[in-house]
Amino acid sequence: MPQDMPPTGGYAQVQYKRNLPARGFKPFYYMVGMHMIMAYGFYKYFHGVREQRELAREKMWGRLYLTPLLQAEEDRDQVRRYYADKAREKELLGSEQKVYNSDRFVRPTFAYTPSKVTQ
Amino acid sequence: MAQRDPQFNQHVLVDTTPMPDHIPKVEEIGATSAFLSSAAYFIGDRCKAFNDDFMKCKDEANGRGEIECLKEGRKVTRCAASVIKDINTHCLDQFKAHADCLENNNHYLFECRKAEVSLNSCIFDKLGLKKTIPGAPENQVPVHLRPKQKYAQYPGPQY
Repeated sequence: MPQDMPPTGGYAQVQYKRNLPARGFKPFYYMVGMHMIMAYGFYKYFHGVREQRELAREKMWGRLYLTPLLQAEEDRDQVRRYYADKAREKELLGSEQKVYNSDRFVRPTFAYTPSKVTQ
Repeated sequence: MAQRDPQFNQHVLVDTTPMPDHIPKVEEIGATSAFLSSAAYFIGDRCKAFNDDFMKCKDEANGRGEIECLKEGRKVTRCAASVIKDINTHCLDQFKAHADCLENNNHYLFECRKAEVSLNSCIFDKLGLKKTIPGAPENQVPVHLRPKQKYAQYPGPQY
């Protein structure tokens, strides 16, 4: 009995690889594209931040130029109330007493409420 | 249904005693925030010396600046009032337009460049006051002169 031999011409190739078509571009190009989009975004972002910084500077200096004016008005109002408080104290107590052991101007903690409606 | 009327009592909390006579009177500025922020740079330009004087006085008064710096404070207020008065006499329309624009745009200066440019040129022609932002980088256009404003609702050319 003859031995069982391979067929003439050998066996057919065994397909062990997956035979799927590669879709799209090479991965490298996707990475390049991503970086380009990111670079554009950062470019816009930095320019936006610079503009924001200048706008903030503009706003701050506008306020700085107004600060003395607003502060002067507020100070005058405080001084007016301070003198009114002092006069009232003198009228009620007959003498002026220093409440705080300090020469500094102290904003009063409690406001005087007139008994009559004033405004 | 039980009715509950609103009761406001803030008005009784105001102490209306006038300033004592030995302190000279000064009329308060009386301008609203939009007008003030519109005129801020011109106030700063004309009144810088008074402003610095006042702040220096406050700084050196050792906590008693409220009382001791009243004189400087009056100068500050008078100077600012003079600026507002001059703008009102010479550039009232542009001033109003800019302040209205600020009022309608959350006080964003970058939304109102068109009104600002006409106000600034009018004030520079009539009063000689100029808006400059200290500390801005010198190699680029100052932000208030850039035609395009990136953060405005319409970011294209403003004027």
